[in-house]
Amino acid sequence: MALEKGFYTQEGIDVKIVHPSASVMATERLESEQSDIISLFLVSALSMKNRGLDMVNVAQMSQNSALLFVAKKSSNISKLSDLNGKRIGIWESGFDEIPKALINSSNYKVTWVPILSTINLFMLDGIDAMTVMLYNEFDQIINAGINPEELNTFLCSDFGYNIPEDGLYCLNKTWLTRKEDLQKFVRASLKGWEYAKENKQETLDVVLNLMKEEHIPTNLAHQKWMLDKMLELIEPGTKNVKKGELSESDFHKTQSILIEEGYIEKKINLTEFYKPVLGN
Amino acid sequence: MRMIFNINKSLASRIVFYVLTFCVFLFLISLSVFYFFSKKQIEEMTFKNAEAIANNTVYKTEQVLNPITKITNNYKWIIENSDLSSDSVYSITRRIVENNPEIMGSAIAFEPDFFKDQGHYFSPYSFRENGIIKTIQLGNPEYEYFVMDWFQIPMTLEKPYWTEPYYDTGGGNVLMTTYSVPFFRTINGKRKAVGIITMDLALDWFTTIVSGVKILETGYASVISRNGTFITHPNKDWIMNQSVFSVANELNSTELRNIGREMQKGKTDFVSSTLRGVERKMYFTPLPSSNWTLAVIFPKAEMYLPLRGITIILIILVSIGLILLTFIVTKIVSEQLSPLSHFAKSAHEVAEGNFNADLPEIKTQDEMKNLYDSFFHMQKDLKKYIENLKQTTSAKEKIESELRIAREIQMGMIPKIFPPFPDMTEIDLFAMMEPAREVGGDLYDFFLIDDRHLCFAIGDVSGKGVPASLFMAITRTLLRTVAPNQQSPRLIVNMLNKSLSQGNDSSMFVTFFIGILNVETGHLRYVNAGHNPPAIIHAGGKIETFEITKDIPIGLFDSFDYEEKERTILKDDRIFMYTDGITEAENWDQELFTEERLIQSLLSARTLEPVEIVMSVARDVVIHVNDCLQSDDLTMMCILYRGK
Repeated sequence: MALEKGFYTQEGIDVKIVHPSASVMATERLESEQSDIISLFLVSALSMKNRGLDMVNVAQMSQNSALLFVAKKSSNISKLSDLNGKRIGIWESGFDEIPKALINSSNYKVTWVPILSTINLFMLDGIDAMTVMLYNEFDQIINAGINPEELNTFLCSDFGYNIPEDGLYCLNKTWLTRKEDLQKFVRASLKGWEYAKENKQETLDVVLNLMKEEHIPTNLAHQKWMLDKMLELIEPGTKNVKKGELSESDFHKTQSILIEEGYIEKKINLTEFYKPVLGN
Repeated sequence: MRMIFNINKSLASRIVFYVLTFCVFLFLISLSVFYFFSKKQIEEMTFKNAEAIANNTVYKTEQVLNPITKITNNYKWIIENSDLSSDSVYSITRRIVENNPEIMGSAIAFEPDFFKDQGHYFSPYSFRENGIIKTIQLGNPEYEYFVMDWFQIPMTLEKPYWTEPYYDTGGGNVLMTTYSVPFFRTINGKRKAVGIITMDLALDWFTTIVSGVKILETGYASVISRNGTFITHPNKDWIMNQSVFSVANELNSTELRNIGREMQKGKTDFVSSTLRGVERKMYFTPLPSSNWTLAVIFPKAEMYLPLRGITIILIILVSIGLILLTFIVTKIVSEQLSPLSHFAKSAHEVAEGNFNADLPEIKTQDEMKNLYDSFFHMQKDLKKYIENLKQTTSAKEKIESELRIAREIQMGMIPKIFPPFPDMTEIDLFAMMEPAREVGGDLYDFFLIDDRHLCFAIGDVSGKGVPASLFMAITRTLLRTVAPNQQSPRLIVNMLNKSLSQGNDSSMFVTFFIGILNVETGHLRYVNAGHNPPAIIHAGGKIETFEITKDIPIGLFDSFDYEEKERTILKDDRIFMYTDGITEAENWDQELFTEERLIQSLLSARTLEPVEIVMSVARDVVIHVNDCLQSDDLTMMCILYRGK
């Protein structure tokens, strides 16, 4: 909405939003300087930083985890421990760190079945459970005819894994040289979210039109659900931060999980990773 | 409306109103029955039609889909039963596409590392591009086909799988689906799926078939995928975007969501659902080969459009019919009943005295004719009767007038001035006579024979009315002729008797009491010819009656000699004379007044003046009869002897 409503232009910056394809990942675009700013999950960013990509978090948009396990009640999985020994679908392309950490911390042995992006294998009982995003796949399952009361859900946040997700990242180099532009960008982006919150119908119309232009199948009911959930995710709630800020404890917790799970080897300082462009 | 307002005034309007009301009622009943049964019929026909259309469409699509499954199974058999080299797989995929024009592409994809010489990925794929068949190897780290639905699902489920439709990757708008069948090999004695053979199928033909379905005005068919997604729909924006469930969500319709779930179960059903305020009927049935669902949907109201048309025409026709009926019935009834108003007018004229009022002309031989006849006779009889009545009335009036005169004459014959002898202090006298009819047969009279003798008489002629009055007049006239020259009551009565008996052909008679009182001495001589004995009210209050004599009424035997009696009347005695009209006055219970009551009456009035005594008795008689018709003449006379 920031782009649609001209908030970026008002700040005096020219912004173009590029959607990463399956073949070109966002981090690759950042690294090759095709993109100045990318959106990335906190866990992915920490891993990449650890692997040597010199980037920094300039704003933490998502404050909460949208990840959950979902299982049909007919598969007799009613508590987390019932997942032990089961086949669980998980994205082949990422976002798998936290669900896996949750299962591993409980010492459950599960068969992870990599899936691309659809819910069809789950629908046809090819797997016992799957990891989904509350705002996306969960609603797809509902919109494929399964009633919420026929499902058991296990939100990662309910098991101590309320790990923030999307944040805005840029190369350290960019942060050093174009701090003002970054400030403008983050400010306008947050303004965009505020606008979306106040003008949901307009936002939905804009999104639906964009998706129609891109030939991406969707519908109003799903996008409405998604917008509502996204707006919930960016609220800090009880966390001692403002919108767009990264909580220090979240940062440390995420880093600990990633070390424990072997995704990263050495710890980095918050100040090295998180360089907010707004506020102080 | 005028008719309705006038129904109480006009018989014709009322008949027309009732006939019409009944017709409208009959029509409404018939229309309702017609509508009800036609509606049922139409519903049944439409449902059958929808079912037939759906089944026909399913049949058409299966005609295309079925061969695909057969071809795939054939190649599956070949792959499973021959020891193929990896190279020959390429030629198989190519041959599949070459030999089957409806197949846009075909892949034979193997599980990871199946052919040692081909590495991790091996999935030869032949496809059409601009009319040329190209063959490539699909799998690579960028295209991990192992996690794609078309490979992963049939491999996992070990069952053939029709993928959810998708737009082809060429960026075109062609909707595709892929039919994937796992093939098996027995490895280490265990049969397991080792790969997938796929057929890519464009769904444009499918869309054409389904979009071609029309039912009623706006009814259509739609195909819904296993996940509820619309594959075909008249609203293009819905295709691949909306699912039954997302629409149900947007419209907040649990009903539609439940219908979607029934579809997913592969059921066939006829349901209705109200969406956006419109009730729609929906017939759905599965496409057997793909587990998709075909639904035929139409607004319920459209079913009844033809019926509505017919009903409107029917209502218009019947309304015209009813108007015509009103007109005709009004005309017929008015014509038939028109003599009635003529009759009414005539009756009015007759009532006003015009017995010659003309009657309507009746040509029919029905009730109206009967009415005419009755009316005619009535008019004739009435005329005659009224004429008779006129004559009778005039005669009666004449008689009445004569009787009135006769009464006046009769009443003029008896003295009516009281006190009659104001200068004579010795006596006081009062009398009254009240005939039962205009004239009566009673009489009384009194006069002074000389300055010392008072003659007084009272009588009652047998019978009543005119004959009695005439006899009374004769008696009184004779009395006045005879009495002044006679000092003896006996001689007076004998003479009266003689005169009256002669030529008395009608055998009338008169009871008669006559007395001559010496006003100085109180000596009374009297004759009682069969009359009620008078009463004497003595000054002391005692009442006695005169003795009963053997003398007969006068007028019966001319030679009868009457006996004269005498007695002395004392000072302040009162002689009370009366006719039997007093004692025989009847009340409603036919009780007579009787002598006892008379005595009682006299007792209570004994000290009073004669006029008061007479009036008192008269009042008691009136009270006794209590408005009962007076049957006899009432006559009383009372004399108070004061003496010297």
